[in-house]
Amino acid sequence: MSAQEQDKPLLSVRDMVQEFTVRYSGGTGLGRMPSTPGVKAGVVQAVSGVSFDIMPGETLGIVGETGSGKSTLARSVLQAPGPKSGSVIFRGAELTHLRGRKLLEARRHMQFVWQDPFSSLDPKWRVRSIIEEPLVAYHDGDRAARHKRVDELLELVGLAPERYAKRHPRELSGGQAQRVAIARAVALNPSLLICDEAVSSLDVLIQAQVLNLFERLRHELGLSYLFIAHDLALVKQVSDRVAVMYLGRFCETGPGESVYRKPLHPYTRALLDSIPSTEPGAARAAATLKGEPPSPINPPSGCRFRTRCPRATEVCAEQVPPPRELAPRHLVACHHPLSEPAPAATVSNEVTAPGTPVTPTQSARVISS
Amino acid sequence: MAPPVPNVPLSVQLEVMPGSTLPSLLSGRRLRNQRLARALRLWVPAGVLIFILALCFLWPLVYKLPSPTVGNILYNNEPPFSPGHILGTNVQGVDEFSDVIYGGQTSFVIAASVTVIGIVIGCTLGVVAGYLGGWVDAIISRILDILIAFPALVLALVIAVGLGPSEIHLIWALSFFGIPALGRVTRGITLTLRSQPYMTAARLAGTPRWRIIVRHILPNIMPTIVTFSLLGVGIIIILEGALDFLGYGIQQPQPSWGGMIALGQQIMTAQPEYIIIPSIALLITVVALNMLGDALRERWGVV
Amino acid sequence: MSDALLEVEDLRVAFAVGGRELRAVDGISYAVDPGRTLAIIGESGSGKTVGCRAIMGLLPVGTAIGGSARLRGTEMIGLSDAELRKHRGQDMAMIFQDPARSLNPTMRVGVQVTEAIQTHRKVSKKEAYAQAVELLRLVRIPAPERRFHEYPHQLSGGMRQRIMIAMALACRPKLLIADEATTALDVTTQAQIMELMLELQQELGMALILISHDLGLAASYADDVVVMYAGKIVEQAPAKRLFGTGGTVKMRYTRALLDAIPHLERPAHTALPVVSGRPPDPANLPPGCSFAPRCPSAADDCRVTRPALVEHAAGHRWACWHPCENGVSAS
Repeated sequence: MSAQEQDKPLLSVRDMVQEFTVRYSGGTGLGRMPSTPGVKAGVVQAVSGVSFDIMPGETLGIVGETGSGKSTLARSVLQAPGPKSGSVIFRGAELTHLRGRKLLEARRHMQFVWQDPFSSLDPKWRVRSIIEEPLVAYHDGDRAARHKRVDELLELVGLAPERYAKRHPRELSGGQAQRVAIARAVALNPSLLICDEAVSSLDVLIQAQVLNLFERLRHELGLSYLFIAHDLALVKQVSDRVAVMYLGRFCETGPGESVYRKPLHPYTRALLDSIPSTEPGAARAAATLKGEPPSPINPPSGCRFRTRCPRATEVCAEQVPPPRELAPRHLVACHHPLSEPAPAATVSNEVTAPGTPVTPTQSARVISS
Repeated sequence: MAPPVPNVPLSVQLEVMPGSTLPSLLSGRRLRNQRLARALRLWVPAGVLIFILALCFLWPLVYKLPSPTVGNILYNNEPPFSPGHILGTNVQGVDEFSDVIYGGQTSFVIAASVTVIGIVIGCTLGVVAGYLGGWVDAIISRILDILIAFPALVLALVIAVGLGPSEIHLIWALSFFGIPALGRVTRGITLTLRSQPYMTAARLAGTPRWRIIVRHILPNIMPTIVTFSLLGVGIIIILEGALDFLGYGIQQPQPSWGGMIALGQQIMTAQPEYIIIPSIALLITVVALNMLGDALRERWGVV
Repeated sequence: MSDALLEVEDLRVAFAVGGRELRAVDGISYAVDPGRTLAIIGESGSGKTVGCRAIMGLLPVGTAIGGSARLRGTEMIGLSDAELRKHRGQDMAMIFQDPARSLNPTMRVGVQVTEAIQTHRKVSKKEAYAQAVELLRLVRIPAPERRFHEYPHQLSGGMRQRIMIAMALACRPKLLIADEATTALDVTTQAQIMELMLELQQELGMALILISHDLGLAASYADDVVVMYAGKIVEQAPAKRLFGTGGTVKMRYTRALLDAIPHLERPAHTALPVVSGRPPDPANLPPGCSFAPRCPSAADDCRVTRPALVEHAAGHRWACWHPCENGVSAS
């Protein structure tokens, strides 16, 4: 990429909003269980106005718990399906306006790695065909050239072609299958790789192997990553910048070191305090977060974290806190960030919130993030 | 509140081979028995079916059988094991064995035809409906619902009465059952497959839709289709038998198992072998089909 | 040792799958004292879950189990289902990873708790209701009388796990086994549940076994740690001896685990010290040390003779011919 292009973001997302309707999936009709299948139970706004940039060669990590909307965010960037509103500009092209062949062309340099390698690889295909698929679809070279390229890719991810190219996914272990998925993802020389919990289902030692592979690819191919996970230490390990997400919004975004050393949002602080560390007795002292995550169908007004926040005041219920840059490149969306002293007039947050704080679970068929 | 069964994952084998130092807890005999049982469950019904098919289709080519339609009235009602007629003859003098063999041919041909039609039309509709979704799915699903609402037997009756009974009409009537059955199963499985990440991955890789259907969906629905078809063949043979029995399917003197049962019904108390013989033929065939279908289902992990 | 609550000796479990024998647990021994917390750490396939299910009698029919597991002196292995039922709930209880699958979705949660109570005690329905509400309060569920009547799908993951704990504690067991109980929960919820379990442990004087793959969990919440690999125990020590500054990890596998997990303190983009390969096939365990094929420090004797689990230092056992030197990362 030219020097000029290095200054422009590779991916630029502005005010992305993604919703999906949640329907009752029916039940026995006894008691208070909703029993009308197919009827709209509500609209979940999984992503509520998210904006960020990824520069070429940069890794942005998005960390959040269940219900935060991070997986939905990833799929919306990919346009699978596209977001309800907002803009996604990738390599200069506005993806939300494109369809069909044009979208495929524009999206060619963006690839995805899923959490479960065994469901992201067709069980009936052999490894060679799996990795070759993007090359075939984009007519990249003739048969011999593709064969060579697949061998190259297998070597790149650390799998010997003569031993693995002919196998089916069921003959691979989790780590090997994920490597095949990665090989397929880099086949077309993408600029951006979106990894949605890509190592979460792997054992610790295998996870380390795959993370090292990501590092190596980053180095050798100059890849940018959008890395999504719920494990904070993991996200910090791989990212340059980190965004902390809660119920569809970013709480805090900034350079990894800055966010972890000096977190400015109470939620980030709570997350960091909850991580069990390998220092015996260390993490236990910290106060754990009270209460339950509120329902995404009916999120709290204003700042969504306010129902569990020890620093919430009245203004938190009235206004959505805008992101403010409180440290170099470090944005925080909070009325009372940790850099300021604790506010005097905090609102009591015992479970006085009306209704049952409930997360939609199996009764409502929701694609969980 | 039964807890889930433990899931002991199997890693891929390492190159370093030799055994463990601790003595084995499980006796070799138990393991061998398990393996044997699994193999038997597959090959016994498969063998029986192959034998029956060979008997019905290949045997008449090798050994000239007496005609199943024309009988010598002088030799009617011969009991089984009479000279020249291993299973005896029926009331019209037709050789029973011959009747069974040719009746079997008819049943299999009809069942195969119905299944093929079901797969070609039903599965295509199912895949299209499942993959494309939207109004295409809505229309196709309603068509399948309408088809399945027709009770096959009644429909066959109506067709037989209206258009005159014949093998072709019988096949079409039974297809009214076969097409929607396979269509709905295919649609269900396609819907499941569609939500799998590897489908999105294929789309992301740039593969065009038709190619996704042909190379991703079809191979993955094959196990389900094959097992359901096998189980379906059994059902169709029985339905066809019922129609023949009622007189609205294959007409006499053309041989059919159901027809044989109808004829035998008249002298059921005196000479029950005329009912027993075709019934056993039906029973063995359908049970073998079901067992094979189940064994394949077990082996292929079809739900 | 005779006052230990649970004594496991040379426990072995094997399955016959597809005609092959899988050695899920290959001779493990440990003990849990009353009121203490033991963490059993291992990756998938290490046998950590299977071992505990063998003690609880929750393995499918046809599994071969050998060895002994004595709960308060009573042998658990080999008991009939009827006899085991007497012990389950009263003496030992287990909670599982996915509360969504362990709770009956068509029954109200309160009823599931009363069911747990009435299985073991002859109490009237009213009495059971009162006890159930008490249990819900015990596990810090707010407004327990209201929650009693709710269905599992109306509760969050953390709440459901609390219900599971309530059911497990219905008859005040002396031993609670938590099988990856917090793995499916968010880290903030996990912290809440762990805090709850420790408080309950103190209040009720229970022993706790935590089964997990998370070393951090073991370090933060356990008194003693057992590390399993390929069905065997490879290291066993009090948590304080293994973790933190001054921790001495001896077995190479434990060291590899510790090195491979991302630490907050490390800067971004550092390469993780990596061990290649995969855990061995339980149907085909290699001779010698099971970790030898992957161990960076493996020598010839490691591949030939299996190291025994020996107490080399006070309270610290390991099974390694060439253990780590001062607990610092070897690579």
